[in-house]
Amino acid sequence: MMMERLLSALTEKRVLFPVSFVVRLALVVYGDYQDRNMVVKYTDIDYHVFTDAARFITEGQSPYNRSTYRYTPLLAWLLTPNIYLTVVFGKLLFIVCDVLSGLLIYKLLCLRGVGCQTARYVSSLWLLNPLPMGVSSRGNAESILSALVLGTLLCMEVRRLAWAAALYGLSVHMKIYPVTYALPIALSLRSSHTETNGTTQSWTWRTPVAFVGSFLNSKLILFASVAGGVFFTLTALFYYMYGWVFLHETYFYHLTRRDIRHNFSPYFYMLYLTADSRWSQSLGLAAFLPQLILLLVSSWTFHPDLAFTCFLHTAVFVSFNKVCTSQYFLWYLSLLPLVIPHLTLSVKQGLGLLLLWFAGQAVWLAPAYFLEFEGYNTFFLIWLAGLFFLVINSFILVQIIAHYRSRKSLERQKAE
Amino acid sequence: MHMKGNGDQEPCFFLKGLQPSLYVELSHKGFHREVVTTVELGSETPADVRALLVYRWPRDVYVDPYQVASLSHQRGWQMLFNTAIDLEEPAHRTSEFSTYVFPSHAGPTPNPLKVTIPIHGRYHKPSFDGKTFTPVHIELPELLLWTKKCTPFQRLEPHTVLDAPCTASNTSICSWVKIQNPNKNSVPMSLHLPVGDGSTVRLISTGTLVVTLICCVVLCHSMLKHQLR
Repeated sequence: MMMERLLSALTEKRVLFPVSFVVRLALVVYGDYQDRNMVVKYTDIDYHVFTDAARFITEGQSPYNRSTYRYTPLLAWLLTPNIYLTVVFGKLLFIVCDVLSGLLIYKLLCLRGVGCQTARYVSSLWLLNPLPMGVSSRGNAESILSALVLGTLLCMEVRRLAWAAALYGLSVHMKIYPVTYALPIALSLRSSHTETNGTTQSWTWRTPVAFVGSFLNSKLILFASVAGGVFFTLTALFYYMYGWVFLHETYFYHLTRRDIRHNFSPYFYMLYLTADSRWSQSLGLAAFLPQLILLLVSSWTFHPDLAFTCFLHTAVFVSFNKVCTSQYFLWYLSLLPLVIPHLTLSVKQGLGLLLLWFAGQAVWLAPAYFLEFEGYNTFFLIWLAGLFFLVINSFILVQIIAHYRSRKSLERQKAE
Repeated sequence: MHMKGNGDQEPCFFLKGLQPSLYVELSHKGFHREVVTTVELGSETPADVRALLVYRWPRDVYVDPYQVASLSHQRGWQMLFNTAIDLEEPAHRTSEFSTYVFPSHAGPTPNPLKVTIPIHGRYHKPSFDGKTFTPVHIELPELLLWTKKCTPFQRLEPHTVLDAPCTASNTSICSWVKIQNPNKNSVPMSLHLPVGDGSTVRLISTGTLVVTLICCVVLCHSMLKHQLR
C-alpha cells in the first residue's frame, strides 16, 4: 500500500518530469566530480570527441580534423557552447532531450488510447530508468535522436505531416538508421484500396500498377518532399562547407563499416576471420539479407501501427547488424514504452524476458572482458555468446509479437 | 640557467662520468598495457640537463594521442608523435611509428624520472597455423640528454650526437647526446596478443549463417502469423 502510494505520488505529472530532470542533473554534477578526482572517468570518450570537434569549429576548421568524429557537423555546431560557455553544456542538452523523449512518450501513449495514469507509469519506465539516465549524463548524443524519432511518430499520430516529415528528415541526417522507417511510413500514408470482401483478389496486370499507384497521393508526396528537402538541404550545406570528408565520415563509413573488433554482433567473428579473403564481399552481402528480409516483412505486416513497426524495425536492424554496440540498444529501447501497454504479457513474464536480455549480454561480456583486459584467447566463446544473444533477442521479439494487441484489435475485442 | 663551476673546462665533462640508467617494464594484461620507464641520471647531473626518451613502436600496438594529451597534465611529461595515429586499423594495415617523450625536469632531482605510457594492442590477421597468440616485441627506448652549455662535438665516446626536436611543440631542432647502453633490462620487452583461429573459418561461417537464417525464418513466420489485418 505504501509502495503504491509512493509510486502514485512519484508519477504525478507535476512530480515525474521535474524529478527525472533533477536526477539527471545530479548525475552530471557527480560525473564532473568523478572526472576530476578518480582514475576511472564518468564521461564517455564520445563526449570528448564531440567537444574536440566543436573546438575545431570555433577555430574555423573542420570538425573532421578530430579523428573518430563520425557524426554530422550539426552536432559539433550545436555543442560550440561547450567551448564558449561551459564544457557541460552538451550534457545539459542531452538530458533535456532525454526528459523531452519521456514527455513525447507520455503524449504518444495518451493519443494511442492508453489511459493517462497508465501512460504516466509507462513513461516513468523511461524517465526513471538508470540506463538512459546514465547514457545522457555521460555525454552520449543518443537522446537527441530518440527525441527526433518520437517527435516524428507523435506528429504522424496527430496528422501534422509537414512537421513529421521535417523531423524525420532531420533524424535521418543525424543518423542513418531511421531511413528504414521510410517503408512503413510510406505504407501507412498510401491510399487504402477498396477491400474485395470474401472473394480472393485475382492478380491481373492491374494489381501491381494499382499497388504502385496507391503510393502516389498528396500526403505521401508532401511527406517525401519535405523530408527529402530537409535532408538534401542539410547535406548540400555541409558538403559545401566540409567537402567529401563530411559525406564519408557521416554516412559512407557507417554503411561500409567493417569493424572487426569484438562486438555484440553475431557476424563479428565471421567477418574478422574473412576480412581479407575473397569471400569477404559475398559474406557481407549474405549477412545483409536477413536484415533486409525482416525489415520488408515487418513493414508489410504491421504498418498500420507505426510505433510498433518502428520498434520492430529498429530491434531487428540492431540485432542482425554487422556491428552492434550497447549504444545501439537505446535506439529501440526508446520505442519500447510505446509497445508495452499493448502487450498481454504478465509482469512476471515481462520481467523474465528483461532478465533474459540482461543474461544474454552478461554471457557475452564475460569472455569479452577476458579477451580485452586479461589477454585470454576467448574468440570462440565470444562467437558462441554472440549467436546466443541473437537467439535470445529473436525469442524476446517473437514473444512481443505474439502478445501484441493493437488498439484496433482491442477495440474490436471490446465490441464483440 | 648557467652551469655552476666548470666554466672553462669541457662543458660536456659531466657526461663522461655520468652513468644514467634506464629500466623499462610492461604492466597490465590483455590489449591495454602500460610501459613504465624509469630513468636514473645520477647525483652528479647538472641542474639544466634535459632528457628525451625516443620510443620506436611496432605496428602491432598504438598509443592514443588524445588519451596522452589528457594525461600529460597529470603525469608531467609531453609526447610528440612523428605521424598521425589511426586508432582502429588492424596491425597489417598500419606501420611503425616513433614518439618523443619530454619529461618535465631532468636535473639533479633525488627521485628517478618515471614515465608511464599507456599502449593498446591492435587486432591482427587471424592465424592459420593453430597459434592462438601473436608475439609483439617492443624495442627499448633511447635516452637522449641535452644541456645548454654543452656543444657536443668532441670526445663524447661512447655516446653519439643526434638531432631531435627541442620540445614537444616541435618548433626547433637541437643537438642531443644519445647515451650508449643505459639499459638495465636484460631482455627486450615482449607481449602476446590473442588472434583469431583462421582454420575454423568454415565452421564459424557456416554456424553463423545457419543460426542467423533460422532466427530470420522464425521471426518472419511469427510476423506473418500475427500480422495486423
